[in-house]
Amino acid sequence: MRFSQLDRITALELGKSISAVKCLSLSEEYLQDHFPRFPVMPGVLMLESMFQASMWLVRASGKFEKSSVVLREGKSLKFQGFVQPGDSLVVHCEIKSVEGSITNLKVSGEINGKSATGGRIIVDAFNLADRQGVDPAIDEYMKHKFRMTFKRLCNQLDTQNLAALANNPLLAVAQ
Amino acid sequence: MRWFWIDRFTEFVSGKTAAAIKCVSQSEEVVDEYAPGRTYLPASVIIEGMAQTGGLLVGQMSDFKARIVLAKITSSKFYCEAYPGDILNYRVEIQSQDGIGTMVNGTSQLNGKPHGEINLMFAALDDERFTNVELFEPSQFCRMLRLLRLFEVGVNADGSPIAVPRHMVEAEKAYLSIG
Amino acid sequence: MPINEEVFDKVKEALVDALGVDDDEVTEEATMVGDLGAESIDFLDIVFKLEQSFGISIPREDLFPDDILTNAQYISDGKVTAVGLEKLKARMPFADLSRFERNPLVQDFGNILTVKDLCNYVITKTS
Repeated sequence: MRFSQLDRITALELGKSISAVKCLSLSEEYLQDHFPRFPVMPGVLMLESMFQASMWLVRASGKFEKSSVVLREGKSLKFQGFVQPGDSLVVHCEIKSVEGSITNLKVSGEINGKSATGGRIIVDAFNLADRQGVDPAIDEYMKHKFRMTFKRLCNQLDTQNLAALANNPLLAVAQ
Repeated sequence: MRWFWIDRFTEFVSGKTAAAIKCVSQSEEVVDEYAPGRTYLPASVIIEGMAQTGGLLVGQMSDFKARIVLAKITSSKFYCEAYPGDILNYRVEIQSQDGIGTMVNGTSQLNGKPHGEINLMFAALDDERFTNVELFEPSQFCRMLRLLRLFEVGVNADGSPIAVPRHMVEAEKAYLSIG
Repeated sequence: MPINEEVFDKVKEALVDALGVDDDEVTEEATMVGDLGAESIDFLDIVFKLEQSFGISIPREDLFPDDILTNAQYISDGKVTAVGLEKLKARMPFADLSRFERNPLVQDFGNILTVKDLCNYVITKTS
């Protein structure tokens, strides 16, 4: 995924919560536009980081059975701190409720332990064959690709977290 | 990946409303491999497109001198995804304002059908905490506004065209005089 | 005196919406800033939602008496003077300022407003 706004997943509890990190580098091309004299991570990319972490949580919690997990709503999302090159944005997402295909999450992000952003998001998980009547092979391909990317992001979970993962069905899911 | 999330303005009425279009292409870096297999334009950059439309509408009220940033996504909602080949039409309106921020609401249409709605809050960087911070170099900022055709469609409340602000004209002249 | 339930529910809805807090976090005694995490940028949003929900108009200085708090006439050593306190009470009869009065540091003023104060304010505007 070239638009990855996460570098690693650092903690994961299926059906509950996830933590992940995004490091901002001055070499990100878009920083020359946002802004030419004040390079900072755009607020919507902080949202994208929190959405992507939520997406992995929902995918993994649903055993990667859905090909699509999309952002339906973002609410009361505040941007209080600027992420500057060299900073790490640590995001945390927590499932508040699940209703059918819809998952409601509380999300937040911090820099050096200081709150930088937070709010609520709603994501929708589904298969394209069910919603748009496309060839199920497309869903299968998507699920495969996402599983691969997820493994890469999780490869860096520390040993303690890996041990915790070994005790839940996630590893089997990601194989 | 650059950071232009609208292709051009189609309407711009100072202090009131602005409309812009965004075409979705497979060759965009964010689209390519975002959901490989059935790629789409991420909702976050759709929000950014509407934020750029609204942020420049807010910024124009100070002749683009106030350092306007997105402070809050009060609400945002999307009904479907925007796939390569689709055309998005954004429209934003200034809703309310106090000394701290400006609220802007907006809608997005996909190929002419309702696609999303949004409510955003913008704030200007305060001088206390951001004393010597400048976001754009004025001639570069002006070039961006020209690229987006803002001055070609922009009008003031009385219908007269929005002129390029004097400080930008001067910065452009200074830039062209180098070398 | 228990506050009007209908008013409380509407105020709660506005706060849950604007601040992304849970329903059960919005209690009568909760302070807007300390407990619910409201920041200056949120107040425009909250005021707008209350105006819509109750069909009222809320002048900013009703809830944020910055003009008093930044007026040298009413401030001494970073604290609000007795005259200043009277001014604040006259401006904000709906708010319980008794705790603030004990040590009226200007910097603490932002955190005195509670959900109950906000409800009382709305009631004065609608009755």
